[in-house]
Amino acid sequence: MRNALTIAAREFEEKRFVAYAAVAFAILPLILGVIPGISGKSPQETIALSSLIFATTFAVALGVMTGASFVGRDLSDGRMSFYFARPVASSSIWFGKLTAGILMIVGCFGVIIAPAWLSTDAHWKSFWTMSLGPASILVLAIALGLFLIAHVIGTFARSHSPLVIVDFVAALITGVAVRFLIAPLFGGQAVVLAGWVSIALLIAAAVAVIGGGAWQLERGRTDKRRNHLALSQFLWSVIGMALLIAGAYVAWVVSAKPDDIVKTTAFFRSPGGPFVTIAGTTRSRLDYMAAWLIDSEDGHKIHIDAHAAWSVQYTRDGRTAFWPVVNGKFAELWRYTRGNSRAVGTGIPTGLTLWGDFIFLSDDGARIATLNHGILSIYDVAQKRSLVSARAPQGRWAQGCFVSPDRFRLYAQTDDGLQILDLDATTRSIRLIGAIRSNVYLLLDPTATRMIVRTEHSKTVTLNDAATGAVIKTLWNGKAIATSRYLRDGRIVIVDGATMHLFAPDGSPIRDIALGFNSPVWFAGDDGSRVTLVTSEDRSPRELIAIDLTRGIVERRESGVRNWADGAIWFDARPPIEPLHEVIYKDMQNHIVGWNPATGAKRRIA
Amino acid sequence: MTDNAIRISDVTVRYGRLLAVDHIALDVAKGSVYALVGRNGAGKSSLVRCLLGQMKPQQGKATLFGEDVWSRRTTLMQRIGIVTEEADAPPEMSVAAIARFCSRLYDKWDQASVEARLQTFGVPMTSRFGSLSKGQKKQVSLALALAISPELLVLDDPTLGLDVVARKSLFEEVIGDLADRGTTIFITTHDLAGVETFADRVGMMEHGKLVLDEDVDALKSRFRRIRFAAQPVAIDTTLLRPTVMRSWGGGSEAIVSNYDDLAFERMRSTSNIGAAEVEAMSLEEIFIAMAGGKS
Repeated sequence: MRNALTIAAREFEEKRFVAYAAVAFAILPLILGVIPGISGKSPQETIALSSLIFATTFAVALGVMTGASFVGRDLSDGRMSFYFARPVASSSIWFGKLTAGILMIVGCFGVIIAPAWLSTDAHWKSFWTMSLGPASILVLAIALGLFLIAHVIGTFARSHSPLVIVDFVAALITGVAVRFLIAPLFGGQAVVLAGWVSIALLIAAAVAVIGGGAWQLERGRTDKRRNHLALSQFLWSVIGMALLIAGAYVAWVVSAKPDDIVKTTAFFRSPGGPFVTIAGTTRSRLDYMAAWLIDSEDGHKIHIDAHAAWSVQYTRDGRTAFWPVVNGKFAELWRYTRGNSRAVGTGIPTGLTLWGDFIFLSDDGARIATLNHGILSIYDVAQKRSLVSARAPQGRWAQGCFVSPDRFRLYAQTDDGLQILDLDATTRSIRLIGAIRSNVYLLLDPTATRMIVRTEHSKTVTLNDAATGAVIKTLWNGKAIATSRYLRDGRIVIVDGATMHLFAPDGSPIRDIALGFNSPVWFAGDDGSRVTLVTSEDRSPRELIAIDLTRGIVERRESGVRNWADGAIWFDARPPIEPLHEVIYKDMQNHIVGWNPATGAKRRIA
Repeated sequence: MTDNAIRISDVTVRYGRLLAVDHIALDVAKGSVYALVGRNGAGKSSLVRCLLGQMKPQQGKATLFGEDVWSRRTTLMQRIGIVTEEADAPPEMSVAAIARFCSRLYDKWDQASVEARLQTFGVPMTSRFGSLSKGQKKQVSLALALAISPELLVLDDPTLGLDVVARKSLFEEVIGDLADRGTTIFITTHDLAGVETFADRVGMMEHGKLVLDEDVDALKSRFRRIRFAAQPVAIDTTLLRPTVMRSWGGGSEAIVSNYDDLAFERMRSTSNIGAAEVEAMSLEEIFIAMAGGKS
């Protein structure tokens, strides 16, 4: 310790001119502050900001220059033997020089900033306290980081050893490994966790360089090539171990199971077919969000990026799910088809950016339409290419469907109301075919011939032509309704608080069914002969209510529902092709459960 | 307790494919002066670096006072003074600052002797080390090495850059005096004339190998230059082994490496070699003869 301090003192003595330079830079802002042409109306601001700029530049430059030379130059100039000829341990040499370097950087930064801090008024002191404190820590961290990096590069470069090629390759591998370590965390939107892992890796790297410096002098002593070899071995071993540990930790983080979700942020199901998408923050993993696409029939789980959980779209045949995955600047669509073991990228370079995306699928998933920032495109999945792109209005919301494999109909909710457009991949043209002069909520019949349209306040429901938007018949006009839905056979269901109203496809009333309670409800499924509703949290816990449409009675209830898998994030407004035989929900124990409204049978899915 | 100040056992140093030190073993007794000679690139400096714990040999080890110098270097350096081949002190520091720095690292330090020695050689204490001449730097290194009254002094080519006066002073006053006081001295040098008077033992390196390791007196007693009036002369090599044989004046000259008076008289009586004159040789002459004979 004493010897290390002696060496540190010697380093200071040798580099005292640096301290003189720091003092000069400390005085300079004070001078600038009193020169009218420079300081303008705010001398305090001039002093404060110029001090920060000078101190930052000085500390960073000093870090690089000192780091590159404080050991490397002694080695390359053959002067390390001066220390090794004395009764000084190699660790004392290293830590003495290291201490001097660090204190010099920190000290000079402090010296340059101190007079300005002392001379500024309360306003700028507040600025210092609020902004400069964290800024100073960041600047010093960067300067010290560069100091250590410069030492490594200096040692490697000055040795003139071919080993530098190995170092370059190791650095490259490290960079790639870090990218692959952090990427899954960002995929789980774990910004905080990714930050902590990055900090841990940076600390490990700093420890590797600091420990490596001591090790290089112990093993290499006066020989620059052996110093290089020793530093290289230590550095990459420690970094390799750190990456392995971090890799194991990240592997544990991403190995979260649906049961590990402590706060569900997304829980959806496919309107037809057995898919369930669930996402949420997970146990003991800070802000890491995990998401899965689950086939509720065979239990197969596909891990997907958390941000994708909100964007999964399902084909109407219930066989395939698509979702966007960030790939560089744009997003690529991934696909999972039932019965396969894993998901695959479609290889389609979409213009999706994960913001403002609308994805529409043809019934079998062979064609995809996307709307992003006013560009409507049709892609062919097998050909992996765009068939047509056109400008389309992008407003608040969009719905749509393929009316044939080559024709896509878009319902765009703009500031001017609903616009109905038809994009034809054969003629490569887009045309406006209809409009409604207000913002509405619409649902299409199974053939996309008619639609039911709800006004924004849900007080009116009309039956409209799906192509032109023209009103055919008014189905409801009065108090706000709770929900409305097209059934698979074209019948229409409208639920106000206490009654379910059933209409024929042409809009004529069939029957009213009393629910026996008055509460907001949502539509949870239709198996052909019955409709399942889910009550709101007002009647906590939620309840699933199966209504027999033929007999017109509430047939069955299922309580203890914490949350049900909604099929609302669905841009194709048509009902599913196949009946939905199971309603999926999370019970009070957080288990995912499938419930058959026809039999009341329950089974645990995950 | 060991009687050897230095023991080098099977030390081998490689730089890539180059074998710089090839399985060298040698001992230096306490209180003796060992001179290691060899041409440039023979491997002397690599061996010295191993000897001082500044380099770990790929094979073998060096011990000082019975302790492994690689693992015990820090402790051992309290007892060892070192003058390196190249001046290695920080060039920005003044001589006084260097002395002050060194004084804090050693348990015992004679600052007065440093100042006195440097004053004698006219080296100002306030001068920057980098501004000194090569000879002055050597003087500074020597003064620092002697300030701890070392039990072992290792001098790696100490006369490099010294003028004649300084060189004479180094050998006669410094090394001679230390040798008389029982300090062990290990010196690598090209200046054989300088070490001849006080070296107890001499080693010679060639291409990384130690080709000679012998007491100086024994070495000098077995090497003789024999000048014959006749030319050429056929020497009976079973009696005397000539290292060098060449024409000289009107006759010929042989340098033999296994001379003894009895063998010489027998050779003269059995061979018809005529008049012959036997001369003792200096270390330098022996070194040149050996180096020339091998090359």
